[in-house]
Amino acid sequence: MTAVQAPPRAALTRLAGMRHTSPGRLQLLLVVLLVLTTLAGLVTGLTAASAAAGTTDLRDRAQPLLAEAETVWSSLADADATAAQAFISGGLEPPELTSRYDEKLTAAATALTSAARRVPEDSAGAEAIRAISAGLGDYTALVATARALNRQGKPVGAAYLSTASQLNRGTLQPQAQALFQQARREASAGYTDARSSWWLILLLVVLVGLGVALIATQAHLSRTTRRTFNVPLVAATALTVLLALVCAGLFAHQRSGLESAERAGSTPAQALAETRMLVLRERADEALTLAARAGRGALEDDFTLLRKRFVVSGEEFDEVRGLATTAAERHDAYLALHDEIRKLDDNGDYEAAVKLAVSPETRSAFDGVTTVLDEALTGRRAAFDDEIRSAGLGLGALAVLGPLLALMIGVLAALGLRARLEEYR
Amino acid sequence: MAVALLLAVAGLTACTDAAPSEKEAAKPAASASSSAGAPAPPSCDARASWRPTKGLQIPAGSYMQTIRDRGRLIVGMSQDTLLFSSRDPFTAKIEGFDVDMGREIAKAIFGDPDRLEIRVIPRSERINAVNRGTVDLAINTMTTNCTRWQQVDFSTVYYEAGQRLLVGKDSPATRIEDLGGQRVCAAAGSTSLENIGRVNVDPPPLAVARTDFGACLVAFQLGEVQAISTDDTILAGLAAQDPYAKVVGPRFTEEPYAMAIAGTHRDFTEFVNAVLERMRADGTWAKIHDRWLGDSGPAPKPPAARYR
Repeated sequence: MTAVQAPPRAALTRLAGMRHTSPGRLQLLLVVLLVLTTLAGLVTGLTAASAAAGTTDLRDRAQPLLAEAETVWSSLADADATAAQAFISGGLEPPELTSRYDEKLTAAATALTSAARRVPEDSAGAEAIRAISAGLGDYTALVATARALNRQGKPVGAAYLSTASQLNRGTLQPQAQALFQQARREASAGYTDARSSWWLILLLVVLVGLGVALIATQAHLSRTTRRTFNVPLVAATALTVLLALVCAGLFAHQRSGLESAERAGSTPAQALAETRMLVLRERADEALTLAARAGRGALEDDFTLLRKRFVVSGEEFDEVRGLATTAAERHDAYLALHDEIRKLDDNGDYEAAVKLAVSPETRSAFDGVTTVLDEALTGRRAAFDDEIRSAGLGLGALAVLGPLLALMIGVLAALGLRARLEEYR
Repeated sequence: MAVALLLAVAGLTACTDAAPSEKEAAKPAASASSSAGAPAPPSCDARASWRPTKGLQIPAGSYMQTIRDRGRLIVGMSQDTLLFSSRDPFTAKIEGFDVDMGREIAKAIFGDPDRLEIRVIPRSERINAVNRGTVDLAINTMTTNCTRWQQVDFSTVYYEAGQRLLVGKDSPATRIEDLGGQRVCAAAGSTSLENIGRVNVDPPPLAVARTDFGACLVAFQLGEVQAISTDDTILAGLAAQDPYAKVVGPRFTEEPYAMAIAGTHRDFTEFVNAVLERMRADGTWAKIHDRWLGDSGPAPKPPAARYR
């Protein structure tokens, strides 16, 4: 108490004075060791807690949010493409298209509800989710009206459908895309948080400092006393080494787990999701071009851009090489059919173009691409789950056991030095 | 709201040649509000087209020969103008008065009315599509007027329409002047949209532009606009799809329909006029009228051809 209240200079003088007496030196060493063990316990606990929380957040929030944002976006694009196909088919819409549309809307709504729980109330993500939820109701109502009018044979149904499609493509999909990008940023920030690099550097410094202080204390004692070893201090040193080894092992394991989760899980999953999105947009462009019945237009230009962006040869696809190759082959087959559709339409045979576009042949060629991408995507998400689960192992225990070990080191250090201090009584 | 106003102003090109009734033509406010440097309204006889010189012949090197070599006639149309050109939801085919006009021209070129390809074009794109050659001609309830004659040529008039008003069943409005300050829809790029802005009442109705009249009906049914104003023919098709709508008021403009053809294809315009001559004379016009517009009474005399 007096040291704290005394002016700094007086305190320093007093500390300097302690250096000159043997018991004073021992007291100083004891204080240094106790401060360092307290720090070691604190930093071990906090580092483990931060890494564990980061890993859990990545596993339970950021990555699922990314998957849900992707589901919302792709389901909206799919619903749009499906509604347009049902429209160009003419007559009553084919039941398989109706059920596909319903399925996609349900998927979008479910993913949206679930994503809403994973974003903070006032974030840009929450804003996008609210906008999509509100728009989704309008969209569903417009499509339902279009269907009802279509059933009554009223041509204005077509205008309802095109209003719905404009809402979907012009408002809902851009919002879904914004949500997806937000989720992608959060996932990438999640990896940084989970690595807790600054905490680890601090932990390294404190543990090295503690080890050096323990060894220096023992060297001092063996110089000034006749005993070579101070048993409690040797035990404290051993425990410090144990703590360092446990930390090194666990954090190295976590980092390698995170690295695998990113390499074998997140990165390919994201690339696959974006590729699937491209393909869905292609199909929607194709159907909407036919629905507009205006020949080759802006949407076909968009198709041409998208088909160039379909590239699955990059290293992000290394983990799914086989499936990616299959997807590329099937995509080529679909593109061949698309070119055939465009040729028919450009040469004035609109009805044949529509017939081919909604034929089981084209549908199965297109579904072939999305199915194989889905399969690869499911595999990569499972790989992510496995790796991230393994990465988080032991961190929770370390957050509790680390401080306990540090406490034991502190107690042993105090015991070892108190025996020597007693000798000066 | 601001967007709607912008659109409304954009739609107001200073064109007063669509033979609106005298009081609109006399109103200076419309041209004052379109400060976008629009040219002074040209004066011409918009109903007069090129006189056929070779009848229904297809000389080598003519544009008709180009169409024949291609194997089909490409016509720009709408797909949601009921009775004129709209898509039958059951068959997915586009049908109507305008479509049958196109079929007659295809028949004159190929001997086969089915050699017809329909390209749906937004009303605001009709002139561009004709001039770019995306379509051979536009048959799309399109009013011939002098402003448009500066960009494209027109055939002789094949139908006489006039602008009226569609409102809700319980609306007290009986004329467009009763809708001051209210939102009235018309298709972007149509003369109807321009005419709404010229209505002589203070405040004037707010013209709201949509891509086509089907989209206007959607806006009307969703309560985004209080009324739709365009040609009586188009309104009849819209009202037929909505039992809660009624068409009211007098025709307050004259909208003579003609087919738009690029100015570089005068031989084709003459040919189309020859086809129209034949249709007026041999009763084909009356037959097509009865087929699509028979509910509005017996076929009137087809509009007489005028030539320049």
